[in-house]
Amino acid sequence: MEMKILVLNCGSSSVKFQLIETSPEQIASNQDRLLARGTVDKIGTGEAIVAYEVPGKTKTKFSREILEHKAAIKTVVSALTDPLAGVIAKPEEIEGVGHRIVHGGEYFTGSVEMEEAVVKQIEDIIDLAPLHNPHNLKGYYASRALFPGAAQVAVFDTAFHHTMPPEAHLYGLPYVLYTRYKIRRYGFHGTSHRYVSYRFAQIHSTTRAEYKLITCHLGNGCSMCAIDHGKSVDTTMGFTPLEGLMMGTRSGDLDPAAVLYVMANEDLSAAEVSSLLNKHSGLYGVSGISNDMRTLLEESRKGQARARLAVDLFCYRAKKHLGALYAALNGADAVIFTGGIGENAPAVRAQICDRLDALGIQIDTEKNEAATGVESNISDAGAATQVWVIPTNEELLIARDTLRTILKIPHG
Amino acid sequence: MEIHRVAVIGGGTMGVGIARTIAGAGVEVLLCEKDQPSLATTQKALDETLDHEVARWGLTAPEKTLILRRITGTWKIWEAAHAELIIETVTEDFDLKKEVFAKLDEICDPVVIFVTNTSTLSISQLAASTRRPASFVGLHFVNPVPKTGVVEVIRGLQTSDQTVEQVQQFAGMLGKTAIPVYEYPGYVTTRVILPMINEAIYIVMEGVATAEDVDTAMKLGYKLELGPLALADRMGLDEVMAWMEHLFRELGDLKYRPCPLLRKLVRAGRLGVKTGEGFFKY
Repeated sequence: MEMKILVLNCGSSSVKFQLIETSPEQIASNQDRLLARGTVDKIGTGEAIVAYEVPGKTKTKFSREILEHKAAIKTVVSALTDPLAGVIAKPEEIEGVGHRIVHGGEYFTGSVEMEEAVVKQIEDIIDLAPLHNPHNLKGYYASRALFPGAAQVAVFDTAFHHTMPPEAHLYGLPYVLYTRYKIRRYGFHGTSHRYVSYRFAQIHSTTRAEYKLITCHLGNGCSMCAIDHGKSVDTTMGFTPLEGLMMGTRSGDLDPAAVLYVMANEDLSAAEVSSLLNKHSGLYGVSGISNDMRTLLEESRKGQARARLAVDLFCYRAKKHLGALYAALNGADAVIFTGGIGENAPAVRAQICDRLDALGIQIDTEKNEAATGVESNISDAGAATQVWVIPTNEELLIARDTLRTILKIPHG
Repeated sequence: MEIHRVAVIGGGTMGVGIARTIAGAGVEVLLCEKDQPSLATTQKALDETLDHEVARWGLTAPEKTLILRRITGTWKIWEAAHAELIIETVTEDFDLKKEVFAKLDEICDPVVIFVTNTSTLSISQLAASTRRPASFVGLHFVNPVPKTGVVEVIRGLQTSDQTVEQVQQFAGMLGKTAIPVYEYPGYVTTRVILPMINEAIYIVMEGVATAEDVDTAMKLGYKLELGPLALADRMGLDEVMAWMEHLFRELGDLKYRPCPLLRKLVRAGRLGVKTGEGFFKY
């Protein structure tokens, strides 16, 4: 019962796509097949860039005028059906399209088929994610027109965290702000946290229901999640992806009074202060050099003090949050690192886990150094809490959810 | 119809601000100056404006590059023929604007929308000099364009509903709220703000309060970002006077008579921020 599923992740001027063949049997044996993938960048210009890859076979890149998302997805279809480099004969072979939708608000607790009422609800909550949801929806509108026979499925970044209890998802603010504006913690990166926790269980030939896990998605955006027997019970991101850990260019947690003080003294508008916190802070803001962890590790090795400071802040704050989630769970069976930094920066993992032996966390230096971008257990043989590296694959989980939604089987 | 190619004619403060705002919204802009040296000056001004925004954390360096990449400078007006919407921002001079529109009218497809950024001249009269009075409309942006959330859409006598709707949609894409107005001296924003500035100048002239105190009172009392006198300094006192004279002439009401102190400062060359001194020193 194999199906070809197209996964779409639409940003303001980009479309990322993967064509994945999957089935319940392939999911169980982790044998789903990636048929093709690529990106369309700089949509809305006369020189949009299309990159297309059939893994192990062809890789192409070209530039052309693409003015809107529909044209971008049309280009994707022609690449996929190209007689030479294509992987399918006709668009009708695609039975489902999985859409990454950033914000599902309080409406959505899992992946759903995008029927009219669902689309209406996603439109209703555009205000909560004005930078993401409108573009995610553009992908949907285009895809509905281009693949009328395929099922359209929405997979939300927030859905996995719907199980957070009120004490974890509310703020210490006047309650009326929650009832009036739905100001609460939603959490993000849900697809990634869910995927790696599932993989961890799969590697151990069990279900997630047996473990307490802390998953650390460290990329340009960073968040951690406390997973208790398969359910997210707390996460570090909140109302927006700005809360929690320090990130590439985002500040993470800070005293809101500092924001008010800076706004008054620098005469900043709301838009400017939002840009300051989201794009000029974090690793980039502290170091003044870069938001790229590789560059900062390199510079700090050379003795660059501010690069060192940025890395130290990043790791210390991550350690603190890890401790908080450990307390929320009352212990953890494993800590899992994923995301660009989590998968590829042994030095960062080592620094976060350093002196956490009180929590049973001890990593093996050699195993840690050897683990870049591959699934591996990096904890010390005798450590009470395992530490793992598990590369994330959000697209794969979107494809699987799409398939399961079409077949009406539980999402796992 | 979504608009993807816009040309801005004229690279003064408004032209640069408008081009930057459009490019910031992800749309390609052709910024057209009258000759090569003017274009160089305009491009330098654009670069400095963006640097200022980066220094205030409003933009990142890559965002600046992206915005610059979307703005193509030219001094060849005929290149504007490829645009779907043309915004004219040249000097406030009827004959000059008419000449620019005459050139554009010849080279542009009849469906191309012409927009003038005039704040004093008659849209209906300018429109009548082209073959497309129905697709001719005014847009009054408020300086500084990228930071101001409003734009007035001015309907001339023959402007079609469709044109107004398209331009309103375009304004929405730029993140601006469009206020539709009929052609009338001062529209809404200028008509309300200028008599207030003029009155503030009377208060200073009559010795009721100092310029600082007038501004502080108005800022704190009515939650204004700038006091009326600081605002006048920023607009340029010569501009303020020209505006008051225009309203006075057009509407004939004494309440629009420019305050004598304003006249005196303009004659003394104290024009505000641009000369280093107006009501305040800069």
